[in-house]
Amino acid sequence: MNQRLDHHTLEKYENIWFGIATVMALFLFVTVLASFFSGTYPSLTGEGGHHITGVKNGRLNPKNFAATPFATPGLRQNADGTYEAFVVAKAFQFEPAVLKVPVGKPITIHVTSADVLHGYFIEGTNINTTAIPGQVSSFTTTFRRPGTLNVICNEYCGTGHHNMINGVKVEVQEP
Amino acid sequence: MTTSPILSPHAARETPVISDAAYLASLKKVTQYYIVTAFLALFIGVLIGPLQALNYGGINVYDMPIIKGLLKSYYQGLSLHGVLNALVFTQFFISGFLLYLPARDLGMRINMKFAWFTYILMTVGLLTAAVPLLMNDATLLYTFYPPMEGSPVFYIGAAVMVGSSLLVVGQVVQMWMRWKRANPGRVTPLVAFMSVATWMMWAVASLGLVIEVVFLLIPWSLGWVAGVDPLISKTLFWWTGHAIVYFWVLPAYIAWYAFLPNHAGGRIVSEPLVRLTFVMFLLNSTPVGLHHQYADPNISATWKTMHMFLTFLIAIPSLLTAFSVAASLEDAARARGGRGLFGWMLKLPWGKPTFSAPVLAMVSFILGGAGGIVNASSTFAPVIHNTAWIPGHFHITVGTATTLTFMGISLWLIPHLTGKRMPSVRLASAAVWTWFIGMMVFALGMHWEGLVGVPRRALISATAQSVYRDMPIQIPQMLTAISGVILLVSAVMYFYVLFRMLLSKRVDDGEVSSPIPYSEVISPAGQNLAGASALVRFTEPLLALWGVALLLVLLMYGPVIARLFANAELVPGWRLY
Repeated sequence: MNQRLDHHTLEKYENIWFGIATVMALFLFVTVLASFFSGTYPSLTGEGGHHITGVKNGRLNPKNFAATPFATPGLRQNADGTYEAFVVAKAFQFEPAVLKVPVGKPITIHVTSADVLHGYFIEGTNINTTAIPGQVSSFTTTFRRPGTLNVICNEYCGTGHHNMINGVKVEVQEP
Repeated sequence: MTTSPILSPHAARETPVISDAAYLASLKKVTQYYIVTAFLALFIGVLIGPLQALNYGGINVYDMPIIKGLLKSYYQGLSLHGVLNALVFTQFFISGFLLYLPARDLGMRINMKFAWFTYILMTVGLLTAAVPLLMNDATLLYTFYPPMEGSPVFYIGAAVMVGSSLLVVGQVVQMWMRWKRANPGRVTPLVAFMSVATWMMWAVASLGLVIEVVFLLIPWSLGWVAGVDPLISKTLFWWTGHAIVYFWVLPAYIAWYAFLPNHAGGRIVSEPLVRLTFVMFLLNSTPVGLHHQYADPNISATWKTMHMFLTFLIAIPSLLTAFSVAASLEDAARARGGRGLFGWMLKLPWGKPTFSAPVLAMVSFILGGAGGIVNASSTFAPVIHNTAWIPGHFHITVGTATTLTFMGISLWLIPHLTGKRMPSVRLASAAVWTWFIGMMVFALGMHWEGLVGVPRRALISATAQSVYRDMPIQIPQMLTAISGVILLVSAVMYFYVLFRMLLSKRVDDGEVSSPIPYSEVISPAGQNLAGASALVRFTEPLLALWGVALLLVLLMYGPVIARLFANAELVPGWRLY
């Protein structure tokens, strides 16, 4: 007859729901950890854990790139065959305007800014980092398909922000 | 067992009688000033909103002569929209609402001179910050990340405005402590408990922003120091910047828990559970901000991961709320003869705006919360970080869960405070429903555009390159543009109702015609601590829990910030707008 909820029924459901909610939160965390260990996304090198000439603890003077590889932005191949790319974001373009990279090779990209904050987002990928003046963002990624991708600034940087779009050209290497 | 007296619900609380009519009138007046100032800010902010929606619909209206005369750029319009809606509207509304509720719930006298002083100081801060915003001297967007530099007047005004909310914290906490001394062994009444917990959370959460603005940005913008470290500033900003969303949403939770069951004709499910929920928010709202900085260099992945874990935990009190309030509604619907697994929903008073506003806000928050878990996950975040997904997300959290609830509250609170009447229930109801529908359409369009790769906060309708014309975003762009029009219509209806109500004559005593809508409780906390459940006794010492909250924040932020300061790199300011 009376369908209204009472204290005892509710308490039981509440406890079940509380359990489900907690398990869900823990499960979320475990799945993210699993993707850390399987390396399915390009995570940033933390706390300046890279070794770039002239860059100390991930910091550099944005007014003076002279002693660092950011003086000549672009891709370079190291003596051991690995690839590194240096990108400078400044209002309102990226340097180099087109970054040419080989397909299928791991590349470590270092990004910094010469003025204000910028975003370094490569369309259609999960490559997405902040370019901060005075600091270097470093991560390693592999481009798997040839083609040209847009690099979009996704952090407000002034009146020309929406026009700050350059490219990455992924090329098949000649043998 | 059917012998339990389930037919005798625990009566709704009645506010203690305040016999001093002059004091009550003054308390109501200061609350009304806060609320009306809040809605004036929202009114201006909301009118700029459709311009942004049209931009994401591919239509640039910022080149139109009328708009060009008022706003220098899209970015100035966006700065005004963000600051007025997200900072000014929320802070003024909450300062009024959460000063009034505990004062009434506890029946305490507060110092009215101090209350007025705080309101005036906050308004002076607002007006000071407004000048550079309107002059295009602080086009820094809502986040004002350095080294993009604004006028020092903006930072000083903002500091005064935010800082004065701490005076409200002080007044409410001090009032609660006086009540505790006068009522030893008593359980704090629910609404006062929730209000005090919210203010305590804000006191811990606002520290980051206060430190950033007072110690870094003001000296830098005045030229006293040569540079600023953008990463330290950003980290301090997000210390406050994420917790602030809980500061916006907890007053809405108070209305969902305490008043919504009454509007629906149901009862609060469990008082001890509500108290637990608020304590979880007090402890866990603040040490989560690094999840906004997954894309930032030079913060260790370990600390980011710890903040991510804590962010996931903060979903739990929200999930408890979803259960608890849904049970309240089911209780109401079944009392009205609702039947079936889902059929009971039809029996709810959907045409009543004081009911539909908070319920639709909750529905929106369920979707917003689900998207928020995507944002918080460091593996998903790179796909949607700083894309149009983000404004899509926060328009169904703060833009709907909070704003629509506050709109609903105003429909009973203004009559309560002033003795005036809502001019048209039907128009108010239409405003509520169109706001919800408009925001849903907006969120669908923006989440979709973001997934394709459209960035947030960019004048994409005027981009020189063809990149956005080549993206498959015609349908979401159309949805976003349409939503701007729906929301404009909704806003016009709502503000017509609000302003007509405010400008009408007082017709009766608000205390009688529109009392504070306290709900009955199925499982109350009881009045005396001695006989209360373990949960009630655990949650009552809020001051000690406040200390724990502060400690937790220092543990989660101390090492991160210390390392940033040890490696600080000061860079010069720029003005590129």
